Amino acid sequence: MSTAVVNKATKIIQIRRLYLFLFVVIAWVSLATIFRGRATLALPVSENSPFNDRVGAVAAAIRAGRFENPAFIYFFNPLREIIDSAVQLVRTLIAIPVSGSIIPVVGWFGVIGIVAFIVYASSNFKFTFLAVALLLGTGVLGMWTSTMDTIAMTLTAVIFSLGIGLPLGIWAGLSDRVLTFLRPFLDLAQIVPTLVYLAPLALFFLIGAASATIATMIYSIPIVIRITALGIRGLNNSPVEASISMGSTKRQTLAKVQLPMAKQTIILGVNQTVMAALSFVVIAALIGAPGLGGPIINALTVRNVGDGFVAGLAVVLVAIMLDRSTSAAVKTKKSFVPPSADEIKRRRLNVAAMGGFAVLSIYLSRNFLWAAVWPENINTSKIVSNATNTFVDYATTTLYFLTIGFRELITIAILNPLETLLAQSPWFLTVAAIAIIALIIGGRGVAILSVILLLAIVYTGLWRDTMLTLTQVIVATLLTMIIGITVGVWIGRSQKADTAIRPFLDAGQTLPAFVYLIPMLGLFGPTRFTAIATGIVYSIPVVTKLVADGIKNVPKSMVEAAIANGSTSWQVITKVQLPASKRSLLLAANQGLIFVLAVVVIGGFVGAGGLGYLVLLGSSKPEMQGKGLSAGLAILLLGIVIDRIAQTGARRK
Amino acid sequence: MSEHNSEAAISVRDLWKVFGPKPEELINSEDAKLPRAELMKKTGNTAAVVDVSFDVAPNEVFVVMGLSGSGKSTLVRCLTRLIEPTAGSVEILGEDILKVNTSRLRHLRRTKFSMVFQHFGLLPHRKVIDNIAYALEVNGVKKEARHKRAQEVIDLVGLTGYGQSYPEQLSGGMQQRVGLARALAVDPAVMFLDEPFSALDPLIRRDMQAEVIRLHKEVGKTMVFITHDLSEAMKLGDRIAIMRDGAIVQMDTPENLVAKPADAYVADFMRDIPKSHVLTLKSLARAPKPGEATDGPELDASTVIRDASPIIIQAGRPIRVASNGKPLGIVSSEDVLKLIAGEEQ
Ligand SMILES: Nc1ncnc2c1ncn2[C@@H]1O[C@H](COP(=O)(O)OP(=O)(O)OP(=O)(O)O)[C@@H](O)[C@H]1O
Ligand SMILES: [Mg+2]
Repeated sequence: MSTAVVNKATKIIQIRRLYLFLFVVIAWVSLATIFRGRATLALPVSENSPFNDRVGAVAAAIRAGRFENPAFIYFFNPLREIIDSAVQLVRTLIAIPVSGSIIPVVGWFGVIGIVAFIVYASSNFKFTFLAVALLLGTGVLGMWTSTMDTIAMTLTAVIFSLGIGLPLGIWAGLSDRVLTFLRPFLDLAQIVPTLVYLAPLALFFLIGAASATIATMIYSIPIVIRITALGIRGLNNSPVEASISMGSTKRQTLAKVQLPMAKQTIILGVNQTVMAALSFVVIAALIGAPGLGGPIINALTVRNVGDGFVAGLAVVLVAIMLDRSTSAAVKTKKSFVPPSADEIKRRRLNVAAMGGFAVLSIYLSRNFLWAAVWPENINTSKIVSNATNTFVDYATTTLYFLTIGFRELITIAILNPLETLLAQSPWFLTVAAIAIIALIIGGRGVAILSVILLLAIVYTGLWRDTMLTLTQVIVATLLTMIIGITVGVWIGRSQKADTAIRPFLDAGQTLPAFVYLIPMLGLFGPTRFTAIATGIVYSIPVVTKLVADGIKNVPKSMVEAAIANGSTSWQVITKVQLPASKRSLLLAANQGLIFVLAVVVIGGFVGAGGLGYLVLLGSSKPEMQGKGLSAGLAILLLGIVIDRIAQTGARRK
Repeated sequence: MSEHNSEAAISVRDLWKVFGPKPEELINSEDAKLPRAELMKKTGNTAAVVDVSFDVAPNEVFVVMGLSGSGKSTLVRCLTRLIEPTAGSVEILGEDILKVNTSRLRHLRRTKFSMVFQHFGLLPHRKVIDNIAYALEVNGVKKEARHKRAQEVIDLVGLTGYGQSYPEQLSGGMQQRVGLARALAVDPAVMFLDEPFSALDPLIRRDMQAEVIRLHKEVGKTMVFITHDLSEAMKLGDRIAIMRDGAIVQMDTPENLVAKPADAYVADFMRDIPKSHVLTLKSLARAPKPGEATDGPELDASTVIRDASPIIIQAGRPIRVASNGKPLGIVSSEDVLKLIAGEEQ
């Protein structure tokens, strides 16, 4: 009785909120039409706002103090040198020539041997074969050296990240206070788009392998901490309590109970860290990371899709290789029983044999040229590049309707109107509208926070560019949600569909966002829509998975009751499954927004304009540096606004 | 605060545990008597253990029972400071547990106390034998010695041959045998068992109860046994304490609880227990009515009625009840029938 009343009341409130929302939108649209074009705060690309100038001056001052400022002399410079020597050490192992020689310490054949040994030792023959084949693939694509550089950079960053992140993660897993202290940083790290990290770091650590490594570490350490802490906190409490009850010290409980039990999660964390580091290393080419990122950026800049595709494909191969070889160690079966003694013995022999092969291959690679340097005549980069370009021409001419047609449809139907609304109306109108929407969705606290952050964006002088970016983010997220919910409902309801589709989602999630830009550029040309399409493709896996899991978690009894009442499938979906998984949908929308934002700003490379473009401009033109840094700040502020509104919206009933 | 009983193995006085923002303020206050939900609303606190005092004699099996949420687990954890009590004092084997330092506490946990958990709490990544030897291991006992001891308790609890298995390879009942063995491995003076059998099937539960009775006879430990299963409590307990909302409402022998429940809550608890399984002849003995035969067989007053009834029926006349040879009265088959019929209503 009383719950029915409460339900009814919430329903009325929800309906009220919907009407309120519609009313606000209508009022906003009408006012925007009336005042169109006024107070838009447009700032020409080549001009700096006063704030931009001030940031530029600060940046210049920081740069000037590089050899005098104690912070540099005693912290930034030594840190850079330490990291730099580590990176260079790893690079000379596999990627760049040792001084006085033309080859690295280990040539290509030796690397193959080492990889085979490591992957075999941590998993099985199937994965070893796969890893070796993928690695050879990068060589065949003519990308061996760049690939080795990317791997060297990734490994260095991962080793440092684990060295710092694991202890902190364990600590945060054990102590509430440490977690409370770290949590804001961890949360923030999840929002900050990769592009935003780069310029500030280059300011303090110069451009080059070292600063790229440090940027990568800053990006991946929070991931290590988060997963490790989660692994320890997520443990079943009773073994831990039992251990304490038997008089273990804290250290004994950690070493004998918590760490062994959390091992699988921690390995999973290592896997995630490797993948995050890889994707960051690729984009860190912008601040001088050697490796596969460079060719991609060059190709994107001159719009040579073919060349970009070759390097991008190499990244994909490396990504799959690293993912498979690190996740192979994660057992799918949750069992602690080790294999039998016989099996262990047999395996030891095999591993030893593989070790022998590795040693032999290293020896060969150091003594024979064929094993040291990847053979020049095995190089398909030209062929692949040309074939790609031919296909792109075909796609953009013959498949016109599928590519350009779709692009124009979305652009005219959604993108342009929304951009007019957000970017062509007076700034205070937009701020007010967003604040009211934040109020409706998330409540007073978020509304106030949004206003403050939006005003800060206005203060940077980049309001209009922010609105351009926001437009793309909203459009991309809408489309992502439509696709993600459709596919998510499908695979949430059908195990068959799940089995068929999930591997693609998993694979899609491991690829760096940067890589997706290349085919999208090929299909849609250098436009705003390309950034949107990339954002969609990049965020679909995570959104779809969240939706599918939400649908799956709806209690079976609810669905069965609905079916027993004679509901059609459509009714079951719309009246039971979707409403019951509302939380997952909102979480998916939040993740979608954040993922899309990260990618859309990279779209600055392919003509998407907005804040991302300004960041890139800032890193290439010294006089625009202040504006680039400000744009990074604006992206961050926008990200926080989006995240806060979506998060509090998701938390509310 | 009243004195501790120096004879007792465990002596608890005025023990409190309050969860919440301001736990101390609640001690001995009027608010502590409020029902849980109201207290939560008013102060944001939960009084999980409220002013509890009791003594457990050496080798006694002391059962604590109560509904879910009545504070049983919290109470037993306070005794060994797995949860720090808010107020009160606990003496175990003459030592003031709440005053000892951490290293002494660790030593006591390693050698004198042990605990068995509802969800077993086995270490999934260790073999059975290494689970059982864990307390010895953290106490620095050499591998050979601790494995030898572990093997002894493995045999004691009937797990011979399973030492090299992993917990996940065992059934629930066997896993809890590992839990028992682990608790016995250090030859503790006091064992705490928190609903050790609640997660088991009824049949296996019965086996395990018999096992505990057997072990108690063989090794004779002082036990604090938590359960919410009344028949388990009756079977195992020398004395039973009944908890409600954190406080002990009655504490007595099984027989007295059935015969003289302190209030409606306890009576409600006891309703499902067949009285004839618990009450003894003493509670039925009465003076013979005129004309009743007084030459029936004699039974001791402490005989449980259920065990006496076949004899009464066979005798075909009232039996005589005596305590230590002193006649108390007679019991007829009609009396027994009345008792049984009375509880059917
Ligand atoms: N760590 C804690 N923080 C806050 N409240 C707690 C905590 N642990 C227990 N409580 C509360 O204390 C009360 C007693 O809990 P306890 O687990 O001791 O009950 P129990 O009698 O063992 O119940 P059960 O039969 O379900 O095991 C409950 O209301 C519980 O919600
Ligand atoms: Mg309990």
